[in-house]
Amino acid sequence: MEELKFDVVIVGGGPAGLSCGITLAKAGIRALLIERGRFCGAKNLFGGVVYTKSVKELVPEFPNVEPSPVERPVTEEGYYIVSSEGLVKLLHRKKDPHEAFTATRARFDSFLAEYALKLGLEIAPKTKVLDLLKEGQRIKGVIVDRPRAFGDPRPTEIPANIVVIAEGVNRVLTEKAGLIGRPFGAEDVALAVKEIIQLPKGALEARLGLAEGQGLAVEIIGDITACLPGTGFIYTNRNHLSFGLGLFLSNLRESAFKPYELLERAKNHPHLRELFKDGEILEYGAHLIPEWGLEGLPRLYGDGVLVVGDSAGLVNPLFREGTNLAIYSGIMAGKTIIEAFEKGDFSSRTLKAYEAQLRESFIYQDLITLKKLKKHLFTNIHLFKTYPELLYDTISLFFSAQGRPKREVMREIFELIRKKRGFLGIVGDLIKVGRALW
Amino acid sequence: MVKDIYVNIDEKISSVKFFVDEEYCHLKIKSEEVCLNCERKPCLSFCPAGVYRLDSNGKILINYQACLECGSCRVGCPFNNILWDYPRGGFGLNYKFG
Repeated sequence: MEELKFDVVIVGGGPAGLSCGITLAKAGIRALLIERGRFCGAKNLFGGVVYTKSVKELVPEFPNVEPSPVERPVTEEGYYIVSSEGLVKLLHRKKDPHEAFTATRARFDSFLAEYALKLGLEIAPKTKVLDLLKEGQRIKGVIVDRPRAFGDPRPTEIPANIVVIAEGVNRVLTEKAGLIGRPFGAEDVALAVKEIIQLPKGALEARLGLAEGQGLAVEIIGDITACLPGTGFIYTNRNHLSFGLGLFLSNLRESAFKPYELLERAKNHPHLRELFKDGEILEYGAHLIPEWGLEGLPRLYGDGVLVVGDSAGLVNPLFREGTNLAIYSGIMAGKTIIEAFEKGDFSSRTLKAYEAQLRESFIYQDLITLKKLKKHLFTNIHLFKTYPELLYDTISLFFSAQGRPKREVMREIFELIRKKRGFLGIVGDLIKVGRALW
Repeated sequence: MVKDIYVNIDEKISSVKFFVDEEYCHLKIKSEEVCLNCERKPCLSFCPAGVYRLDSNGKILINYQACLECGSCRVGCPFNNILWDYPRGGFGLNYKFG
């Protein structure tokens, strides 16, 4: 294999790697994207809601594309707050139904890959990157698990001026590149398990009150996770729905619960059971979500190397951002690389512009916000147990107040709040969250 | 174990398409002794695919063919006792939806 040299090698065909590839292909830079799956998206899994604006940055004509990766526009979104006895729904009809849409990874990522191929990005699927080619600290390319030539089984070396690491949450190469401070642990990731469930014809619309072309995106909090820190979700697709749970791996490990048993338990919640009745599981899956945030943020550049997407930990669980951040970081990395080729300099000196760009964006500011929120919110057990129960019980009392003196009912409500969390406790929690957000 | 809930994980996993690499087992226990001395053996419960099972002698078996490649065991093992790798290119998990 002669002539196997590229300007840029991108490791990983998820949204981050593909966005970088598309940006480079548009600028005529010769890039090779390496994907270990049989196609882009084959190894990927997400909730999944995608924000339209981020996709438009890559594909200006989106969503007017054929075939479209859009399952349903998100016309309604919100929260189900679940106690062991019942649930409270907080739903919002969106003004702009085109702001976000549901998708599945296999279709969405391959859509981006098709688009990238047309622009001239080269994609090598079914290929695993084993290691980085290094010269001292400088990254000079990658080594892949393909034989070098006929009769030469040694792994192939692919030199490149710049390597973009878009390997996803299991950031093995990022570590090999010497860009991380410490390996992440079980407390730094959430394990998500998900099922694609097909309901009998017409049931999805009837049970969730949707018309054709309308879609729902709901986060579920409370007893759904057996009160462990984490959330559940329901996202409607065209002909099926995505239902899943995300829990910190460390909490899951302590609990000794099996994630698929928790998922089954969630589906059997007295008020959700009807929704899933006679549903057929089309696919089960699992994936880690990077939650290491600012503290675990790797150095995003080195000599001849950049890190994008999940490998960097660019997610915001509170606003279900991840795909969009992967896209933005891929584009920023791409732009920096274009600059590097203009200058003819592929060292940190030029590539650090990527990190600077990211630091100026909302992505970095949100990482700072999240750091504080994580400390006060995600680890606050009251949020997942006390408050959902309190909310349900309070509203139950309120709506069954007929035939009684209302002052007595109100007193009962206050007594309940005082007993379960206490007014000082609530004020304290509010201040903590408020401080984190402002 | 979650109370009153039983899930046949093998049946659940059968909804997922795999291209099994018969020649390369991508997960490996570093030291069997560490597992024997590990009291709680959390890998038996947190792995979302039920890859880790106990045999009748109390030894951990790895059913790597059903691995969802999530990486939980890489960081979830309290003794960092699992050699973790992805399957070779083109093998392993192949989501239809994801």
